Amino acid sequence: MGNLIASIIAANGAVQAVPVTADDASVLHHMSDALHQSIYRVLTLLIAVLPGILAFFVAVALFTLCGMLISWALRRCLTWVKFDMRLARKGGDNWSPASSPTEIAARGSFWVCVLLGLIIGVSAFDTSYATGTALPITLLPYVTHAVGAALILVAGIVIARFLARSVLISAVNAQLQYARVLSLGVKWLVLVLTAAMVLDHLEVGGNVVELAFGILFGGIVLTLALAVGLGSRDLVSRSLESHLEGHVERNGDRIPPPPNVPPVTSEQIRHF
Amino acid sequence: MTDSSMTTENPIPAETSTGNQAAADLLIVAASMPPEQFDALLNNVAIAFSVENVVVAAPNEFTANGPTNLRIVSTAQSTAAWTLKPADFVNARQAGHEHQARAILMLGQGADSLNPGALRSMADAVLTGAADLVVPHYTLPPHAGLINSAILYPLTRALFGTRTRFPLAIDLGLSLRMAERLAVAGQRFTAPNQDDALLWPVNEATVTGFAIDEVDVGPRQVPQPSDPDINAILALVTGSLFADIETKATFWQRPRRVPPMRRPLSDANATDGTGDVARMVEAFRLANANLQEVWSLVLPPNTLVSLKRFSVLDASVFRMPENLWARIVFDFVIAYRLRTINRGHLLGALIPLYLAWVAGHLNVTASGTASERHIEAVAAAFEADKPYLVARWRWPDRFNS
Repeated sequence: MGNLIASIIAANGAVQAVPVTADDASVLHHMSDALHQSIYRVLTLLIAVLPGILAFFVAVALFTLCGMLISWALRRCLTWVKFDMRLARKGGDNWSPASSPTEIAARGSFWVCVLLGLIIGVSAFDTSYATGTALPITLLPYVTHAVGAALILVAGIVIARFLARSVLISAVNAQLQYARVLSLGVKWLVLVLTAAMVLDHLEVGGNVVELAFGILFGGIVLTLALAVGLGSRDLVSRSLESHLEGHVERNGDRIPPPPNVPPVTSEQIRHF
Repeated sequence: MTDSSMTTENPIPAETSTGNQAAADLLIVAASMPPEQFDALLNNVAIAFSVENVVVAAPNEFTANGPTNLRIVSTAQSTAAWTLKPADFVNARQAGHEHQARAILMLGQGADSLNPGALRSMADAVLTGAADLVVPHYTLPPHAGLINSAILYPLTRALFGTRTRFPLAIDLGLSLRMAERLAVAGQRFTAPNQDDALLWPVNEATVTGFAIDEVDVGPRQVPQPSDPDINAILALVTGSLFADIETKATFWQRPRRVPPMRRPLSDANATDGTGDVARMVEAFRLANANLQEVWSLVLPPNTLVSLKRFSVLDASVFRMPENLWARIVFDFVIAYRLRTINRGHLLGALIPLYLAWVAGHLNVTASGTASERHIEAVAAAFEADKPYLVARWRWPDRFNS
C-alpha cells in the first residue's frame, strides 16, 4: 500500500514537471482544429444549400415575371373581346368593378404562375437539401412547421373575427345587454384555441401548453355559461314558454291567458 | 321536376272538370289554402267571371261546398305560403300554355278576402291589353306591411321609377308574355337549394318595358311568414331586393321620371301603436353602443354622427329623418354590392336601424300625420337622394358627405 501511494505521488510529480507553455499550445491547437472543422461544416452546408436557395428565388422571380406578363396579356385580350359585356349579357351583371370577370381571370393567371414558381422553387430547394442531409440541419424542418403555424394563426384570426361579429350582431338583435362581452368571449375562445394549436404545431411548451389551454378554455366557457345563464334567464324562460304554447296550440289545446296581463300592442304592428 | 309534371289532372268529379284542356280566356292560379278559404275563393270567382271562360288551377282538392260549374285543374304545390315563389311563376306559365289562356291571375293564400269586384278589375286590366302586369293596391291597416313601407316601396320607386305600392304583392295579373318573362327569370331559382329566392315582378316588368297597372282591391288578409322572426324576414326580403337591384344596375342608373300620383293618399291613421316604440328605440340604442365597429364599415362618418345624436333622444320624441333613412338604405345597398362585410352580417346590422325607422314612423303617425303621407315623404326622400346611390355605385371607394 505504501509503495502504491509513493508511486502515485511520483507520477503526479512527473506531470507537474511538464512545462506550462507546451500545454497551452496543445489547447490552442485543439481550439483551432474545432473552429476550422466548424467553419468547414458551415461552409459545406452553405455550399450544399445555397444553389437550392438561389434556385428557389430564381424560380419564384421568373414565374412572377411570367405571371405579370400573362396577366397583362390576358387582361388586354379579354378587354379587347369585351368579355365582361358578353358575360353580363348572358348571365346578368352580377360583378363589382373590382371583381369583374376580366380582372378575376387576370389575377387568377398571375397567382397561378406565382404558385407554380413557388412549387418549382421548393422542389429545387428540396433536391439540393436532400443531397446535404448528412449535415445536421434542424432549422429547415422547423421553418416548414412555422409556415404551417402561421397559416393556422391567420385562419384562426379570421374565424375568430367572423364568429365574434356573428355573435355580436345576433346578440344585439336579440337585445342582450351583454352582447359585447359575449362576442369578446367567443373571439378569445377561438383565439386561445388557435394559439394552443399554433404552439402545439411548433412543438413549443409540450404538456404545459395543453394544461394551460385546458384551464384557460374551461375558464372562458364557464364564464360565458355563467354570464348567459344568469343574464338571460328571463329570455330562456320566455323562449321555452312560447315554444310550449306553440306546441300546445298545434295539438288543439289552448293555454288560458295569464290574469292581469295587459293586451300587447305589438299585435297592431306587422312588419310584413 | 319536369315541366310536364308540374300541372297534373285533379281527381275531381267529371261534371266539374270537363274540358280541362279547352281554351280559356283567364287562368286563375291559386296558392294552397285551407278548404274553407278555397271554397270562398271559388265562390268569389264564380261571381266575378262567367265560368265558361275561366279555369282555376290549384293544389287544393275540390270540395263539395264550392261552385260546381267551374273548371278546376290540379297544379303543383308551392312551398311558400306568404309570398309567390319562382317555381309558382314557372308553373303558371306552363298551365297558361296548356289552357291557351289570354291572361293569368295568380292569387296567394288568403285571396278569399279579396272581393269579386277586385278579382274582376285585376283580370280586366290584363284581358283588355291595357297592362302586362297588374299589381293590387291593398288597403292595409296603418301599421301593417312596414318592411314594404320602409324599404321595398321607396327603393323600388326611386330606382325603377314606378309607384307600385306593393312591389312584393301576393296577387298578380299577368299577360302571357309577362308570365313567360317571369317564368324564364324564375327558372334560375328553381334549384332545390334556392327555396328562399324571391322574384320581383315589378322590376322585371319595368326592365322589359312592359306596362304595369295598379288596381285598388280594398282590404285583404295578408298571409304572414311561418316564422314571424323579424331578423329572418328582413334579411330574406331585403337581401333578395338588393340582389335584384345589383342584377339590374345598368337599367336603374339611367335617370327615370316617376309617374305622377294617380290616387289620393289615404288619411287613415292608427289609433294606437306606440306601445312598442320604447322597446324599438332601446334596441336601436343597444345597437348604437355595440355595432359601431360594423356600421362604420358601411355608413359614412356623418351618418354615424347623426345616428349617435338621435340615439340620445327620448323614445316619445324619437324620429328618423327621411333623408337619413334613405342614405342609410343606399349605403347598405352599396355595401351589399361591394361585399364590404359578410352579407348575412350586413343585413343583420340593418335590423336595429329598421326598428329605429319603425319607431320614428309610429311616433310620426301618433302625432297625427297620416301613415301614407309619411311613407310618401320617405319615398320622395329616396327619389331625391338617388344621385348619391348612382355616384357611389360607380365610384364606391369614396364616402360622399
